[in-house]
Amino acid sequence: MDAATSRPAVVIDNGTGYTKMGFAGNVEPCFTSPTVVAVNESFINQPRSSVKGSNWLAQHSAGVMADLDFFIGDEALSRSRSSNTYNLSYPIRHGQVDNWDTMERFWQQCIFNYLRCDPEDHYFLLTESPLTAPESREYTGEIMFETFNVPGLYIAVQPVLALAAGYTTSKCEMTGVVVDVGDGATHVVPVADGYVIGSSIKSIPISGKDVTLFIQQLMRERGEHVPPEDSFEVARNVKETHCYTCSDIVKEFNKHDKEPAKYIKQWRGIKPKTGAPYSCDISYERFLGPEVFFNPEIYSSDFTTPLPAVIDKCIQSAPIDTRRALYKNIVLSGGSTMFKDFHRRLQRDLKKIVDARVLASDTRLGGDVKSQPVEVNVVSHPIQRYAVWFGGSVLASTPEFFAACHTKAEYEEYGASICRTNPVFKGMY
Amino acid sequence: MMFVTIFRSPGSLDLSLSLSLSLSLSLWLHGWKYKKINGVCKSNSQNILQASLKNPQLLLLSVSLPTPPSETVFFGGLPLGAIEAIKAAYGVLVQILDPPRDGFNLTVKLNLSKLPPDEEYRHALLVKIASVREVVLGAPLRIVLKHLASRTVAPDIGQLVALVHRPKESFFVVPQTEKVTVLFPMRFKDSIDTILATSFLQEFVEARRTAGLNNAPSCLWSHSPPLELKGAPVEALSANAGFVSFVIFPRHVEGKKLDRTVWSLSTFHAYVSYHVKCSEGFMHTRMRRRVESLIQALDRAKPDSEKTKKSAQSRSFKRLSLKEARSSKNL
Repeated sequence: MDAATSRPAVVIDNGTGYTKMGFAGNVEPCFTSPTVVAVNESFINQPRSSVKGSNWLAQHSAGVMADLDFFIGDEALSRSRSSNTYNLSYPIRHGQVDNWDTMERFWQQCIFNYLRCDPEDHYFLLTESPLTAPESREYTGEIMFETFNVPGLYIAVQPVLALAAGYTTSKCEMTGVVVDVGDGATHVVPVADGYVIGSSIKSIPISGKDVTLFIQQLMRERGEHVPPEDSFEVARNVKETHCYTCSDIVKEFNKHDKEPAKYIKQWRGIKPKTGAPYSCDISYERFLGPEVFFNPEIYSSDFTTPLPAVIDKCIQSAPIDTRRALYKNIVLSGGSTMFKDFHRRLQRDLKKIVDARVLASDTRLGGDVKSQPVEVNVVSHPIQRYAVWFGGSVLASTPEFFAACHTKAEYEEYGASICRTNPVFKGMY
Repeated sequence: MMFVTIFRSPGSLDLSLSLSLSLSLSLWLHGWKYKKINGVCKSNSQNILQASLKNPQLLLLSVSLPTPPSETVFFGGLPLGAIEAIKAAYGVLVQILDPPRDGFNLTVKLNLSKLPPDEEYRHALLVKIASVREVVLGAPLRIVLKHLASRTVAPDIGQLVALVHRPKESFFVVPQTEKVTVLFPMRFKDSIDTILATSFLQEFVEARRTAGLNNAPSCLWSHSPPLELKGAPVEALSANAGFVSFVIFPRHVEGKKLDRTVWSLSTFHAYVSYHVKCSEGFMHTRMRRRVESLIQALDRAKPDSEKTKKSAQSRSFKRLSLKEARSSKNL
């Protein structure tokens, strides 16, 4: 055993909205910070002059070190707000890495400034969405091995990790449907005995960001006095702190109208430009935000299939012998499933669909054969928010993990193509 | 008493580590309770924080230090003066357990009920606890520099002191009454890193000569071992990125400057390695931009008919599904 395998692996789960990072074996990630980089681009966009290097010379004399002058996470947000030399760049869009330059810088800061470890001393576990192209996996490997000289790298699929997180908290179950609702992407991924059923993966174009946008839109239409440059942040905060799932919209509207004092909340903030305080009401958007998943037609006219129906479709497209087991273990993961009673509503709606189908088949058969009722179970656990990270932490603390990694020696022997294959898809469990 | 692990961290880069540890400590203080998990296996980590289930005010912090090379002197598994340094830094808050837990060099018991009530001071102390590695490993350096401040030489220290800072690697201190020379043999595993580090260090020495930095410790880089290292063992002198030496004068360690000097010196290797990685990242950025501009040039050179044909061919199944997913989301 060399030194690197005796140290805990670094687990970084890069999500569209937030990045969760920490060391394997811990219960919670050390840091959860927004996936955003503030870059000083004051010199990058200058025209390329004929004399090579004069651009860099100009930069040097201005005292700007563009390669070092950047911030990530919360620091980036506050920097970009206070001065306009920094441009915000979101390296991940819709669950896929969009800008590799800023992604590399983001990792660099994660490792050196947040986790404060030497990348040469630790194995790394990174995550990716189930729809990531092999090319981008290759690119990730290239950055990790070339820039950071990591001794070993493992790129795991997020839903499988989410399932593995449930594995330790409840029972040994590696069959289930993972409903991963992140900030930028929503996937419904069936996993049977640890194997992802690739052909049945369903994606929904509605994610946490859409909830935020919808709340923003509702508040804007009602005419709340939120400064426009802050309205997205306010909407995000409202989503994270006040939203909940209701069982019936009409009833909920009535409740709000009858007892406004109980249901309508206040939001207080300070205008970023003038520093003057302001306040606004939060009312229907508290339950209408999460409702986007159950009645998408209230948000967009392009996609109208509710989430329970998508899950049902996904399970119906899976092999027939796995379906009962899949219905029995529907695991939630991702920050946007944290709304209060989200799992209850999902379970109820899904149960309705399933029961209707069972009833229809019973009447068709004429009552001679009674089919066994299908058990529908939506599992919610306390670590749902970092389920993927936690699963990674568990996985990376097992001794088998180090054997499953792509090592630096392999990388040097075969090149970045080793990262194309994913050991999880081959079935590690 | 039963202790359960609540946090582990490696602490390999910084001698001390770390925001994450102090964060975890303050979480603990704010009523964050340990959640039981089965199936998390033990691994030999560098720092480990354990809490007692019966008494949440008691925490055990175990630290394992990098394996010392042969030239370094350790007393009972700890560097010279470490015990005194811990006592001086934390006072009544910690109690050193003897012997330490299995596989660790040092175990201390933290009594959180003895934390000061003042929020700011409390936070400073938590950060200090998180920097336990710096306190322990930097102890001999601190002794040497303290004596320099009073212009004496510590009595029980030799001509050439070796201090461990990375596994099986050490740096050297030559204590004198008027100055202290600190020498770092720089080693890097990767050949690209070695080259970048060499040129970085040459620039670093060059930058010291600019007018604004007259008061900084003078700094030298050489490819071969400097004369001060004559007495050191041969294996300690194999450095592929040369040797850096700093000359520290009493004015650099006056009063509050002492802490900063100790910190900067003990994290020097991490500082260089961070900059090496940064420059690698920056070069990749430039390479990517260059490739992009070359591809653009190629695209411009294509005749129109070929362009349309090409785009129809390149629609593989994977790409299509990805693009569709993206475009539908963008709507």
